[in-house]
Amino acid sequence: MAPARSKLTYLLIAIVGALTVCPVLMLVLGSFSEGLTAFGDFTVDKYVEAYTDPAFLEVMFNTTLFVLGSSTLSTTLAIFLAYLNTRTDIPFKFLFGILSIIPMMIPHLLFSVSWALLLNPSNGLLNLGLMQAFSLEHAPFNVYSLWGMILVEGLLDLPIAYLIIAPAMGSFDVTLEESSRVAGASSWRTLFRVTLPVLRPAILAAFILGVVRSLASFAVPQVIGIPGRVHVLATHLYEMIATGFATDYGKAAAVGMSVLAASVTLIVVYRALTAESEKYVTISSRGFRPTVVELGRAKAPLFGAVALLSFILIVLPVAVLLYTSLVPYSMVPSARAFSMMDLRHWISVLADPISLLALKNSLFLAVAGATLGVFLSIFVAYVIVKVKSRASGVLESLSYLSFSFPGIVIGVGFMWFFVQTPLYATIWALLLGYIATYLPYGIRPMSSAFIQIHSHLEESSLVCGASPMTTMRRIIVPLLIPGIVSGWILMASMFVRELTLSVVLSRPGTEVLAVQILRFAEDGLWGRLSALGIVMILISTTLVVMATLVGARFKTV
Amino acid sequence: MEIRIRGVSKYYYSEGKAIKALDGVDLDIPAKRIFTLLGPSGCGKTTLLRCIVGLEMPDTGEISIGGDVVWSKDRNISVPPEKRGLGMVFQTYAIWPHMNVFDNVAYPLQVRGVPRDAIRRSVEKTLRFVQLEGFEKRPATKLSGGQQQRVALARALVAEPKVILFDEPLSNLDAKLREETRKELRAFLAKLKITAVYVTHDRVEALALSDSIAIMRAGRIVEIGTPQKIYFNADHRFVADFIGRANLVKSTVRAAENGFTIVDSGLGRIVCQHRDLPVGAEATLCIRPEFIRIVRGEQQAGRNLVNGSIESLVFVGEAYEAEIRVGEERLLARIDPEAQLAEGDAISFTLDPAHCLLVAI
Repeated sequence: MAPARSKLTYLLIAIVGALTVCPVLMLVLGSFSEGLTAFGDFTVDKYVEAYTDPAFLEVMFNTTLFVLGSSTLSTTLAIFLAYLNTRTDIPFKFLFGILSIIPMMIPHLLFSVSWALLLNPSNGLLNLGLMQAFSLEHAPFNVYSLWGMILVEGLLDLPIAYLIIAPAMGSFDVTLEESSRVAGASSWRTLFRVTLPVLRPAILAAFILGVVRSLASFAVPQVIGIPGRVHVLATHLYEMIATGFATDYGKAAAVGMSVLAASVTLIVVYRALTAESEKYVTISSRGFRPTVVELGRAKAPLFGAVALLSFILIVLPVAVLLYTSLVPYSMVPSARAFSMMDLRHWISVLADPISLLALKNSLFLAVAGATLGVFLSIFVAYVIVKVKSRASGVLESLSYLSFSFPGIVIGVGFMWFFVQTPLYATIWALLLGYIATYLPYGIRPMSSAFIQIHSHLEESSLVCGASPMTTMRRIIVPLLIPGIVSGWILMASMFVRELTLSVVLSRPGTEVLAVQILRFAEDGLWGRLSALGIVMILISTTLVVMATLVGARFKTV
Repeated sequence: MEIRIRGVSKYYYSEGKAIKALDGVDLDIPAKRIFTLLGPSGCGKTTLLRCIVGLEMPDTGEISIGGDVVWSKDRNISVPPEKRGLGMVFQTYAIWPHMNVFDNVAYPLQVRGVPRDAIRRSVEKTLRFVQLEGFEKRPATKLSGGQQQRVALARALVAEPKVILFDEPLSNLDAKLREETRKELRAFLAKLKITAVYVTHDRVEALALSDSIAIMRAGRIVEIGTPQKIYFNADHRFVADFIGRANLVKSTVRAAENGFTIVDSGLGRIVCQHRDLPVGAEATLCIRPEFIRIVRGEQQAGRNLVNGSIESLVFVGEAYEAEIRVGEERLLARIDPEAQLAEGDAISFTLDPAHCLLVAI
């Protein structure tokens, strides 16, 4: 048993290592090389070129503002929402649950597009509406700016920050607060002197994760930043490899190195903080409910704020896309607009061979990628949870490494790699890249499934007289099924809307949904974009709903 | 069926150091008795149980169950747990969450390929025995802690094992339920007349349930005996101290007469239970708090009469817990709650020689 286990461990280290370390290695090599296909002689020219570029300073400035601004926005909103949900008597608490799973259903790309459709200065629906209503000469809002980017990215990262902060707040030991009140501090003083400091690790963790995600964000900078000529690192990098006559993968790799380094460092800090916050917030076994703060007169306005936020995050993007997919050109909703609605954009999308190919490719990648990814995750999670050795620790670190990879940067690394192989420009390149980048999302549900299977459950079957094979068939596999299903659906829904990696690796013939949507956006074909976007939302919503149902079904046992 | 354990050792390696979880254990567990392995956590009792059941492999020695060798290092015999035909109740109960009560209990019979009808009858009978009739279709994890414990017991019993093993089965229950379940378990086991090996760190549980108790410490068996022997008449200081609260007083043997051993100690000259100890030997005098009998006021000298004063007095409901100072010694005593005493009172107490035991240092 023991030698077989360690053989499995080393095999997995080799596979996961190849998937995660390979692109990084290629990125490093590439950043010191002359051209894409031939590594050639060692050179630091690319670094010099990349970092002395006069535009670089501005890019750095924009990136810093964008990243810190959006993380601050998302964390602040998350604290506000988490507090309202866990600690007050605000009505309709189910809204908070919905808010937290929305990013799974509405891809970032489409969320960004919907804001562009609403607030762009030339024909944004909201701008047009306000101009008509108040007879303004100029559009009052311009989303194509750094502030617009911060707003949209902040809203996009809000749910993930909420998911980190809300459980910490929910399991907060209320006696800490009560003793502060008894000691004579007011509610507000207690909030700022006790509650928030105790929750600091969770809040910091949410902030740092926000920084990492906005640093890696490509959809918002591309859709909202580029029309306003606001460049951040992700779009700066993308321009080097996608536009102009001379694509320069070496220079892109050189810039990517610093993004990657920053991201990996932040994720290390993040993991330390989440470990810390678990230590801080002890969940009491007695299962007490935290005392509920009565909001009184503030209830209605606060609920109004939450409802508005839900509307902005959930209803508005879908409504705008649906509306845009049905009207012939941008116009304020009116009787005339509704009378002109038709299915022309839908028909042209469904007749467009590239859109259909993208749909087919995305579905294939989702099904094949999630299946392979979960298959690999089962073994990796088994070794991480059940085989406690130094090698399994190495595997764990390796498998979570890709969590910190900014898609576009790691895409450049993969590019350097795939160019050397016959996989270049095939759908298999995308498949491998997807699995490598999103492996942690498969491993996490599998690990928690394995953790649930206490070794006693397995041992007790052996003592009852069942052979190891029977034990596997009758005890272990049935207990793993919920983890397998939720891991599969999670991965599949991420692959359906994958943008940042695809935008680098996709070539004619291997278009995927998100890339095709981005092309429509670049060409200003908003109607077709919306139609295809709705298709994408439908697919990923179906997957998420399925995941929720499966989760609910297995929760009871 | 009796279990014979000979020279069993088990090592763990942690950070390059070998830890002896079991250190050359020799043990005979008699058939049709409730045998308890008792000891502080980390003493190796659970490891020994897991070696018997086959979930751990010892590094040396031999284990046989009812005459069949199930493990032998020298003869290279290793029977896997599923072939040993035992039943076990785990600390966590290990109730399979994806099965209902019936399937959990039927499992040992199903994997043995018993016909369906026979399974139904056996499961019914076993569930009736543990008083869980009518629970067949319930999801097993929806039951209370005590009921889950009985499901685990039924599952361990259903295939009529040669031996049933318990690994701290009551430690997951709260104090009140633990007491009730202990009584139930005692009743079930008394009816069964089966060989049972029970692991616990709870001395009350061990005293209440067992026919005999083996006290373990640091991978070794220190002493084996009936609950009464272990409590009243332990040979080792560690055992006397572990099994109940005890006042331990240093003493020196002075004489042996009339079937008693007489010692000098910080309490003066004390007549104790007989021990084969030479005059002049050092020994530890062990007195349990409940056997200190208070006599009001100063008394004349008499056999095992000691004078002292009350240093502290704490009311704990069914008794006072008093600290009595005698010279340099401090003794813990349990005193009748109606006694009219106050801190600082001078008192006398007597000690029954039968409850003054001498243990090795």
